[in-house]
Amino acid sequence: MLLVDLQIASRNLLQHTRRNLFLAGALAATTALLVLLNGLVDGMKASLMESATTLMTGHVNVGGFYKVTSGTAAPLVTDYRKVLAETRKHVPELDYTTVRVRGYAKAVSEKSSMDLVLGGVEVEHEPGLHRVLQITAGRLDDLAQPGTLLLFEDQARRLEVKVGDVLTLSAPTTRGQSNTADVRVVAVARSVGLMSSFSAFLPAVTLRKLYNLREGNTGAIHLYLKDPSKAPEVAARLRDALAQAGWRVMDADPQPYWMKLFQKIPSEDWTGQKLDMTTWEDEMSFLSWIFSAVRVLSAILVFVLMVIVVVGILNTLAIAIRERTREIGTLRAIGMQRRKVRWLLLLEAGLLGAAGAGAGAVGALAIAALLNRAHIAVPASVEMFLMQQHLHLQTAPGRAFGYAAVLALVTTVASLLPATWAARLKPVTAMHHIG
Amino acid sequence: MSAIVSVENVSKTYHLGKTEVPALRGVSLEIHAGEFLAVAGPSGSGKTTLLNLIGCVDTPTAGVVRVDGKDTSVLSERALTDLRLRRIGFIFQSFNLVPVLSVFQNVEFPLLLQGGLTRGERQRRVGELLQAVGLSDHARHRPSELSGGQRQRVAVARALVGRPRLVLADEPTANLDSTTGATIIDLMRDMNERDQTTFLFSTHDQKVMAHAHAVVRIADGQLQARETLQAAS
Ligand SMILES: Nc1ncnc2c1ncn2[C@@H]1O[C@H](COP(=O)(O)OP(=O)(O)OP(=O)(O)O)[C@@H](O)[C@H]1O
Ligand SMILES: [Mg+2]
Repeated sequence: MLLVDLQIASRNLLQHTRRNLFLAGALAATTALLVLLNGLVDGMKASLMESATTLMTGHVNVGGFYKVTSGTAAPLVTDYRKVLAETRKHVPELDYTTVRVRGYAKAVSEKSSMDLVLGGVEVEHEPGLHRVLQITAGRLDDLAQPGTLLLFEDQARRLEVKVGDVLTLSAPTTRGQSNTADVRVVAVARSVGLMSSFSAFLPAVTLRKLYNLREGNTGAIHLYLKDPSKAPEVAARLRDALAQAGWRVMDADPQPYWMKLFQKIPSEDWTGQKLDMTTWEDEMSFLSWIFSAVRVLSAILVFVLMVIVVVGILNTLAIAIRERTREIGTLRAIGMQRRKVRWLLLLEAGLLGAAGAGAGAVGALAIAALLNRAHIAVPASVEMFLMQQHLHLQTAPGRAFGYAAVLALVTTVASLLPATWAARLKPVTAMHHIG
Repeated sequence: MSAIVSVENVSKTYHLGKTEVPALRGVSLEIHAGEFLAVAGPSGSGKTTLLNLIGCVDTPTAGVVRVDGKDTSVLSERALTDLRLRRIGFIFQSFNLVPVLSVFQNVEFPLLLQGGLTRGERQRRVGELLQAVGLSDHARHRPSELSGGQRQRVAVARALVGRPRLVLADEPTANLDSTTGATIIDLMRDMNERDQTTFLFSTHDQKVMAHAHAVVRIADGQLQARETLQAAS
């Protein structure tokens, strides 16, 4: 019976190729849009994750703040080697670690100035930087020499400096006065979205000197995990373990450290050292509005399209039922139960939905593959938001067909109303002799 | 022998806005197994209304309609549908085949609704009936590829395939020329003689009427006496 049901439903669909093709096309477009927009967001996220976790954060960070008085704060982990040793004990998932000095300074060139978030690195121990940074001028390895600086293209343009030029960094200290250091630009790297608009790198020793920090102090320990998705779990575990081991540990708060440094920490009433465990998503949370914006926009778009599709389905089914009134009456007269009539019409709508949405998913996956293959350069103006240099959509067939299934289901559910209406047609209508 | 259909003092009144249209007025009729009975009457006399009541697709305003011993007015929609499926075969004036199914599938359809038969059994039964109505060669055709007479033959086969006790046909020849119409009636009568299926059909065509065993005449919603026709057989 099911086979015949399917035959009836599919052949009825094929009878009215034009209007059904139109509907299936609309469904396909909606599905494709959904899949592509999601692919874009996921692609952005993947790029962000890749660059963020080498430039600004580990998968998990053991950072902290030190307050000399309750109204001041510095991003510091004192005696970090002890912290690192304790940390290692509790993170079997650990792949490798790097140590970063954290700082914040005004960079002053001859022509201009700007605020920079500084990362103090030991460049020879930073394989990730070599992988992610695309050096357009100078040499990354020169960052091993003290008194050097790496800028991103946007910053170099803004400060109007090039490799070899000297800048003055001016950092406010806890005592209210500013420390300064002259640094020479040794490398310029390609910009990588919002992150590179305000962060720059210099040797850890140089940054320590700027802040008068002892050698055993640092800004944060970046932990890189074999499986980055374990980050929240590891951060929570470390929070407990280091508290247990006697450190004062701050509660979880999904904000980047520099936002805490400027707003939250100085207003809290405590002094001395506190540790703060964050994940890469916490540190990047200041960018989450971009994802939210794209998601909200695509949700609105897809919703509107979906409403149009549902209205189209209702309309088409209503027409189909009116056209087939006598046929439905006949089926009822010769002994078909109401629910069977409803089932047949639902099957028809379901088939249409599955075909349209399925085609949309396949199409979207193909388009995404082609776009990725084409290696399209993202214009500089939107690079900042896409966080990509080359357009990359991250699509998964499983998810694409998941969306397709949801849309097909929506279509089917929407057709419940006209199908029920059809099932209520009286068998007497079979006896009318019109047509 | 008990009646397959018993209509007792049945009235049916349609309401058209404020006006009442009495389509049947105190009709009584018994139909027995194996009968081949025609209902004849002028247009508007109530033939369709009577067949609809007997066919369980409509209910009377007053009186009792029993089909296969069951009072149709007390049955649920679902039970009525099941009664139609298992006890009654329908032949319609406009053939009413499912356009997207082949001749074979159209005939097979009631068996699928009834369930319970294997594929092989269904194929055998449909094959036999297609042979009997002379359409074995057209099993794979769609209804649209057939002439009116051929379509009505398919409808006859469909009405009979579920082995109903009663086949109802409301003006089965009205959309056919009189020669073709006569052959359809003859086919129905052959089937009636072959396995004693009871037939009730309506017509206002004098020639068609002559092929029945018996005729009940209806006028103005009231039945006249039953006439037995010798000439027919
Ligand atoms: N659904 C309905 N609503 C209102 N009046 C109806 C309805 N169906 C039939 N009638 C009326 O009931 C009376 C009997 O109609 P019916 O269709 O039973 O006659 P008939 O003998 O089948 O006629 P015909 O030969 O034209 O098919 C007619 O006066 C008709 O107008
Ligand atoms: Mg009639």
